[in-house]
Amino acid sequence: MSLEVINNPILATIQDKGRFFYSHIGVSNSGVLDEYAYCYANKILSNNYGTNIIEISFSNVIFKANASTIIVVTGAKCEFFINDILCNSWQSYTIKNGDIIKIGKILEGTRVYLAVKDGFNIKKVFGSNSTTIKEGLGGINADKLKKGDILEFNSAFEQITQRLNDEYIPKYTDELVLRVILCAEVDTFEQEEKDKFFQNDYTVTNDFNRMACKLNGEKISSNINGIISEGIGFGTIQIPSDGQPIILLKERQTIGGYPRIGAVFSLDCFKLAQAKANSKIKFEEISINEAQEKLKDFYKYFIE
Amino acid sequence: MIFKIASVDSLTINFGNEISKEIASDVQKAYLSLKNLNIEGIIEIIPSYTTIYISYDVFKYDYSSLCKLLDNSIDLNYEDNSIKNIINIDVYYGKEVGLDLEDMSVKKNLSIKEIIQIHTQKEYDVYAIGFAPGFGFLASVDERIALPRLSSPRKSVPKGSVAIADKQTAVYPQSSPGGWNIIGRTAMELFDKSLKELSPLSVGSKVKFNSISKEEFLAQGGIL
Repeated sequence: MSLEVINNPILATIQDKGRFFYSHIGVSNSGVLDEYAYCYANKILSNNYGTNIIEISFSNVIFKANASTIIVVTGAKCEFFINDILCNSWQSYTIKNGDIIKIGKILEGTRVYLAVKDGFNIKKVFGSNSTTIKEGLGGINADKLKKGDILEFNSAFEQITQRLNDEYIPKYTDELVLRVILCAEVDTFEQEEKDKFFQNDYTVTNDFNRMACKLNGEKISSNINGIISEGIGFGTIQIPSDGQPIILLKERQTIGGYPRIGAVFSLDCFKLAQAKANSKIKFEEISINEAQEKLKDFYKYFIE
Repeated sequence: MIFKIASVDSLTINFGNEISKEIASDVQKAYLSLKNLNIEGIIEIIPSYTTIYISYDVFKYDYSSLCKLLDNSIDLNYEDNSIKNIINIDVYYGKEVGLDLEDMSVKKNLSIKEIIQIHTQKEYDVYAIGFAPGFGFLASVDERIALPRLSSPRKSVPKGSVAIADKQTAVYPQSSPGGWNIIGRTAMELFDKSLKELSPLSVGSKVKFNSISKEEFLAQGGIL
């Protein structure tokens, strides 16, 4: 019982919430870039929190089912077909043997998620199915999905369709406000530099992958060139010597040496994960207390 | 110990602002103490040169409650009485694998034999692990063989390459891009999925390099 990959996608990988407890050996946390779309996909299917999923970063991915299961597509707005019939994202569908599932053009946002009931049966590597290609860990043969890959699942069937209420379906726009927790080396930035950072618009560049997102805009500078390398968190905003911010994402390295002005709040990193190149970014400060409360509000709905 | 926010669910504890044996020793003691405390809700602990990074479950602690707990419970005099192992890494220092040996020999005015002798005579401390899984930053190499990174990094450094950057030395556990000066190659696995801990290295452990012949290197499974 499985889904077979029919074409060679540009970049589609198996991910889950990430690989934890091995950062001290230099292993990246990895995991889904957009946890909002990921958590709701699993919620719609009543899957356990942490169930694996397919993360699709570019148009045109085709699968063939050889048994019944329930699927859902979330994340970027896209052309999603089952046997050439256009279907809705954020809604469950029962598919059967022989069905062709196609993710066509991506219309809004950049990353599409496809989940199946109870996830795919893939052996975890160091506690996770997340694929980190550069480390040779996770997924199917530690690689992106390729034509002929077989993704096994346990067969399932349901007669009730689950659909997310419209108000919860995100609109992916090309203007984002990212909330920032000031942290780490923030004191090495003069007030004038901080003002520049918070008052100007930045643009998302093409230098954007699972590891990091490089921005372009008003240069800001720290009083120091670098720090002695140390552990770095999700959303960290590094300011290298060219003055252009880099936001570190899920597949970041475990340690880094650039001065940090702050860290983008996780929930906003999920929005950033769906941003296209040339999108406008504005930064806004949030306190650690408020951010931690909001983070709990988000996860408590998904973690039983 | 100075506490700083690192992100919504992580923090760093700072022990000083320079690379030194003393600060590294403080980091090491705090790290071992922290591991020994086994605090529920702490997810990652990444020790580095001067800091310890901690990510945590926000359902268990908020930033200030965790800082308070850590401040009260980390024992800076913690001693690990277990036997310390020295990790011996056999290296073939041949020109065909030590891609920058000749260049270093010219720049440092040393024979290749002298470079090997200087590199193998010291025991190095693992100050940090990062950049890639199992990539340990070892220090300090003798000033006589310290050399800055290449001006333009190589697109691919072969797996097992033993290299020097400034006063640090390291082994590339997997082939990857890199700008360090390559002086030899080992057949030893530094990132080994069959090991429970994934790598024989950990921050605070000691490493000694041994020079071996091409034949021994090949016999150990080394690839030229």
